[in-house]
Amino acid sequence: MSTPTLTKETETRPGPAATAGDAAKEWNPALRPGSGKTPAARLRLYARQGGNAVWGAGAIILFLLLWELGPTYLAPASTRVFLPPLHVVLEALGTLIANGQLQNHLAASLSRSASGFGIAVVSAVALGLLVAWYGALDRFLNPLLEVFRNTAALALLPVFTLLLGIGETSKISIVAYAAFFPVLLNTIAGVRTVDPLLIRAARSLGLSNFQLFQKVILPSAVPTIFTGIRMAGTSSILVLIAAEMVGAKAGLGYLIVNSQMSFLIPDMYAGILTVSLLGLLVNYLLVGVERHFSRWRTAVGSRTA
Amino acid sequence: MTSGTGPIPKISLQNITKRFTVRPSKDNPDGAVLTALDGISLDVSAGEFITLVGPSGSGKTTLLDLLAGLTKPDSGKVLVDGREVAGPGRDRAVVFQQYALFPWRTAAANVSFGLEGAGSDGKRYTRKERAEKAREYLGLVGLGGFEDRYPHELSGGMKQRVAIARSLAYEPDILLMDEPFAALDAQTREQLQTELLRIWATTGKTIIFITHGIDEAVYLGQRVAVLSSRPGRLKEIVDIDLGDRSGDEDVRSNPAFVEHRHKVWSLLHDEVRRAQAAGHAKIQPDGTAPDETRTITTGKAA
Repeated sequence: MSTPTLTKETETRPGPAATAGDAAKEWNPALRPGSGKTPAARLRLYARQGGNAVWGAGAIILFLLLWELGPTYLAPASTRVFLPPLHVVLEALGTLIANGQLQNHLAASLSRSASGFGIAVVSAVALGLLVAWYGALDRFLNPLLEVFRNTAALALLPVFTLLLGIGETSKISIVAYAAFFPVLLNTIAGVRTVDPLLIRAARSLGLSNFQLFQKVILPSAVPTIFTGIRMAGTSSILVLIAAEMVGAKAGLGYLIVNSQMSFLIPDMYAGILTVSLLGLLVNYLLVGVERHFSRWRTAVGSRTA
Repeated sequence: MTSGTGPIPKISLQNITKRFTVRPSKDNPDGAVLTALDGISLDVSAGEFITLVGPSGSGKTTLLDLLAGLTKPDSGKVLVDGREVAGPGRDRAVVFQQYALFPWRTAAANVSFGLEGAGSDGKRYTRKERAEKAREYLGLVGLGGFEDRYPHELSGGMKQRVAIARSLAYEPDILLMDEPFAALDAQTREQLQTELLRIWATTGKTIIFITHGIDEAVYLGQRVAVLSSRPGRLKEIVDIDLGDRSGDEDVRSNPAFVEHRHKVWSLLHDEVRRAQAAGHAKIQPDGTAPDETRTITTGKAA
């Protein structure tokens, strides 16, 4: 019995309070894991968590060690030129940051992918909601959307370059194109898979179509839409780097290709390292946002799992 | 068949017939017309608790959908307070078997769902008033202190309590309950039955309660309406008189209960057998019946 109200109910009404009380007992430990444990048990818990953290980072540490030591001790001298050890790459990265070059390239890449990604999310969510709501529109557009979806974005890069030039427009467009489809398809799926019982319940309350959409269909679709947005975030960076490699005057993709062609091999690896860190960061942020918006759903999964 | 006490019964079903067009299938390429309800007439007076029993596929849920205004009858009239039902309205609330709680809303937010926006009388509640109402009705169903829990944090019985609170919160006159306790374990079900009688006594709602449990029907209802197997017709209405049910004694074992139970059982028994022979199953909300191809072949023989 966790709250005074429940205790009071036990005295007055044995039946229902028993359920409520049992439930409270059942849930409170689950809601506060680790509470009410002895210091020794808590220490063991931390030790286990610490051990898990080391084990989880193990592969990364091994990889970095291999990168640092491998070129010096394992690789032949001819390869070493093309595969500098980690500390050389980090030095190059430091120099690039110090003279501000990396920040310039990063800013160029970020502004392009953010613009393209933003355009894609807004337009794809809007179109997805329309398509999912109007069956006729879906039947009309679906075949065309399937064709476009299955055309690799990078295959269209020459077309974008021809039509829109090698400036910002073509890069933002190709990012928007690549990010558009994951969001669109997930939005459609999210609206489609709303539990029909919830719609019946809302209808029985006399909700209008608009209210139904706003209060039932949209909130229910949000987690699925965010899954699409996360996938779009990843692909917008992937496609952008490739686009920048083909024709650009700034950006991380340009940095990588240009360093390679100028034989600044450590700079090239510094660029690659930045790309993977950026990808990780973006994915991490979007996963966080996705989790925030689907708390009610992920919690169900973790409980039943 | 009618037993309304006032001049205008609260609910009046007048010769209701409802048919569904069954979707064409491989065995039955033309589709078929399925009569779910056939000539149902029933009056329910204000404040009455009536239970509806019938075999699977006898159109219980269809009847409830008609009352809720989710579908329209093909012939006949559904009257509430003497006016024909034009659609869903806040004078009626539906409680579903699968709770139908909105999983992204807390218990309190689920309860106040029906209070958002303008009501039928144009009244708007402020956020504070809604929270107050939610607390009040969660208290009424014995879930005080659980306002901030999400549905996935609640047990089946607690979810159904929240669903009942949600239906009561916007103060409808009529509660339509579609096998609300069927998914619960026996002990929780019995608790909620007692609770429901208490809520009924305190709020004075008119309750139409659909069930396939004979015990439940006899225990809860002032009258039990028995539906025949498909097409659903009203076979008989059994008046239940168990005296005072609010006491602590075990009503289910008193002789009057046993007698009523047996009466409903014998009425239902033949129908259930007939329905089973015909292989009737639930008619889906979209009007399809998974068993319908079989019904057409065996139905003629029956």
